[in-house]
Amino acid sequence: MGSRIPAPPGAIGRRPGQVDPGEGTWDNSFVDREIRIKAEPVDGSRCRFVVSEPLLEGARRFASPDEAAGSPLAVELFAVAGVREVLVSGATVTVTKDGPAPWQAVGKEIGAAIRRALAAGGPTVAAAPPASSASDESLYARVADLFEAEINPAVARHGGFVELVDVQDAVVMLRMGGGCQGCGMADVTLRQGIETALRQRVPEVAGIVDITDHAAGANPYVTASKK
Amino acid sequence: MGARARLLLLLPSTTYRAAAFVEAARRLDVDLTVASDQDSAFSGREPERLATFDFAHRDTAAEEAAAFAAAHPVAAVVGVDDDTAILAAAMAERLGLPHNPVAATLAARNKLEQRRALAAAGVPVPAFAVHALDEGPLAVARAAPYPCVVKPLCLSASRGVIRADGPEAFVAAHGVLAEILGSPDAARRGEDSRRYLVESFVPGPEFALEGLLEAGRLRVLALFDKPDPLDGPTFEETIYLTPSRLDRTAQRALEACAARAAAAVGLVSGPVHVELRFNDAGPWLIELGARPIGGRCSAVLRFGEGATAISLEELLLRHALGLPVPAVEREAAAAGVMMIPVPGAGVLRAVRGVEAARAVPGVEDVAITAHPGQRLVPLPRGDRYPGFIFARGGEPAGVEAALRRAHACLRFDLAPQGD
Repeated sequence: MGSRIPAPPGAIGRRPGQVDPGEGTWDNSFVDREIRIKAEPVDGSRCRFVVSEPLLEGARRFASPDEAAGSPLAVELFAVAGVREVLVSGATVTVTKDGPAPWQAVGKEIGAAIRRALAAGGPTVAAAPPASSASDESLYARVADLFEAEINPAVARHGGFVELVDVQDAVVMLRMGGGCQGCGMADVTLRQGIETALRQRVPEVAGIVDITDHAAGANPYVTASKK
Repeated sequence: MGARARLLLLLPSTTYRAAAFVEAARRLDVDLTVASDQDSAFSGREPERLATFDFAHRDTAAEEAAAFAAAHPVAAVVGVDDDTAILAAAMAERLGLPHNPVAATLAARNKLEQRRALAAAGVPVPAFAVHALDEGPLAVARAAPYPCVVKPLCLSASRGVIRADGPEAFVAAHGVLAEILGSPDAARRGEDSRRYLVESFVPGPEFALEGLLEAGRLRVLALFDKPDPLDGPTFEETIYLTPSRLDRTAQRALEACAARAAAAVGLVSGPVHVELRFNDAGPWLIELGARPIGGRCSAVLRFGEGATAISLEELLLRHALGLPVPAVEREAAAAGVMMIPVPGAGVLRAVRGVEAARAVPGVEDVAITAHPGQRLVPLPRGDRYPGFIFARGGEPAGVEAALRRAHACLRFDLAPQGD
């Protein structure tokens, strides 16, 4: 319980078109060799970008441009006006920005930045610092316990589960699955349920980032209709 | 000073609107309670933040809201669609909060009651008659004015709305409508699922007006052109574009018509979404809703410029809570949204070309809201779009062209139904 998954964050670099997502992959472009990036705004300040190529084994969070050195992807993203934080996890980049500009507008710059980093051909994200801070280790264990004891039993009632991906700088990174993935009420579950529980039980948590690819959810608990 | 204000937000579990409204509430310094028709996974654990009310029974829901508010005082109740607008009015009335009259929200929800109220007030509406579904369609067909439109009283998103140009087409349309109204989700509407309207078809371009009622006064937030002709036999909405390219005099006539309609129905507060047509005879009121624009379309609206710009949802929440509204003027840029037409009947396997569509200049986003494995049902039987395309630019023509180019990039891979 609560033990951190040892995920040595090996950096992975890929050239454009090297990975073919294959037949039946969700959200393919008909341009086969194109790097495909899918934007999924979480709210006004955060947006997930799901890339058709793996970026990093494990997860790494960049809280400022100072931390981006050696990670071309983070360097490119921080060069976009307003970008405040970058989280890379697997093939997903979660960007937090300041300012009111809508993601519909900023997203193109983000996409271009991701492509530039991938086109460079080398590792896109450097390995995370060898050891996270002790406080993150402690937070991870406490959050994992909370997920196991309370969060997942609750969402399991709706056929869902929530995976704790990592804790970096007191920010919790999670991924929703099963009935939660793509559910029309996933934001309500996240903000009114999970976030509240975290604030109460682990008040040191500074924020939550949902890195779920909700558009790929094939069995959401509830599906939106036009209203 | 006392505790922070609490907002009671009524979100049906099937709404597209959850993320936009929750995010808007988070931007405000309020305590948020989301009430829905289904239990949240955390309802038991977070009863202050997640409530479950009986949305199917208004009086029960109002009592549930009152019981909740006794423990957690509520400053405003906000609904997000036609049904929750009624519930919000009933709850606000029960709680002694400012609200629309419940009867007005009911009239806005029911197409027949709305038609009657509008006609009685002299608002130009299509000629209409109501019929029972079990009346012999041949007799109704003989008396119908052609071209006409058959329209259910209780459904939304143009579901079940069919144009007929003669008796044979009318009987066919009646058969389809009877099938739709016999489906479980429609049948639960009770008496309203056993009657329908027959209206004269009003030719001419269609427009949508987004407005905010403040003490009975209509503030126009946006007027949208619908550049794709809506001439039937089904009425699938596609592109909304603002600002309107209609001449200013005609725009004023549409705005005045919408204001008269809201007053005729009795609405005084909160959002209105109005569908109108305009032809040589002037404006025609087609539909009025006591709700904001549906689906994800609100993402195309921004009010104010630069750092102080706010979303439609934030504007509506601020109004409901009595907070200052920094701007009700839409931004200067032209903006548009396409509700992606259902490409056919079948089970969705994949959508291709999304990235190419996003790359079209002027396009800001392509949101595919259908999920893999979802059954797509075209109109008149269906009521869900597979997604939305958003674009912004200097002038409406360019925005419209961008939307069409982006749509042309999309390829939907469907498996036959039952596959």
